[in-house]
Amino acid sequence: MPGISQSLTLVARAESLGPATEFVTKGAREANLPESRIGELGLLIEEILMNIALYAYTEGAGGIVTVSFSIPRPGELAVEIGDQGVEFDPLAVSPPDLTLDLAQRPIGGLGIHLLKSFAKSLTYRREQGWNRLTFEISTNS
Amino acid sequence: MTIEQTQVGTKVVLHLVGRMDAENANQFEKHCESCISEGFTSLVVDLEDLAYISSMGLRSVVAIALKLRNKGGDLRLCRLTGLVRQVFEITRLNQVFPPHDSVESALMEG
Repeated sequence: MPGISQSLTLVARAESLGPATEFVTKGAREANLPESRIGELGLLIEEILMNIALYAYTEGAGGIVTVSFSIPRPGELAVEIGDQGVEFDPLAVSPPDLTLDLAQRPIGGLGIHLLKSFAKSLTYRREQGWNRLTFEISTNS
Repeated sequence: MTIEQTQVGTKVVLHLVGRMDAENANQFEKHCESCISEGFTSLVVDLEDLAYISSMGLRSVVAIALKLRNKGGDLRLCRLTGLVRQVFEITRLNQVFPPHDSVESALMEG
């Protein structure tokens, strides 16, 4: 992630959602993103972090998640979330069938769909035992 | 998130204020379950003052709607705005729960 300005390391669990959201929101304000984008940013952070908290690490094993952001230019925020859990590429997940009726709807899968819909330039890489998911959010995205 | 409850005839209107995220989606589910256990099977959820919903929130909405349907009732949503409206549109849950423009319209039909 070029030009990383700030990074935070947290325990990979649901309770870390608040501090992680607060941290990136600070970045979004520094980047002068409008409030509507800050709401979307919170959603992206929650979807990614909860996925890691629930599925990345074997139950009871614990683990960490890193949240980093940089401001490539005013009005733009680049975010990277890293974890050392099981290899998981959300971009490779098949899209959920959104035409199904209530009773047939799969209960999961919507989070990744929201992530793909709201994040600009979503990329994934596996690097030396780390899952690294990056995305951008900007005034115009 | 706060939940304000009003009874209108045999139906219950729940006005959600704040955010429905991973931390408090369960609160909504529990509140609805308590309405169901009191015998209410038609719930109207007013989302005008809900600023945020994540997939965990959607999961709770879907779970409650299924419970109500199994009892012959239903869950209706009204006054979706901003990010909440976008989330329902992107996931096409707005087709499963056709949004009503007002509490009155959600209460009237059916």
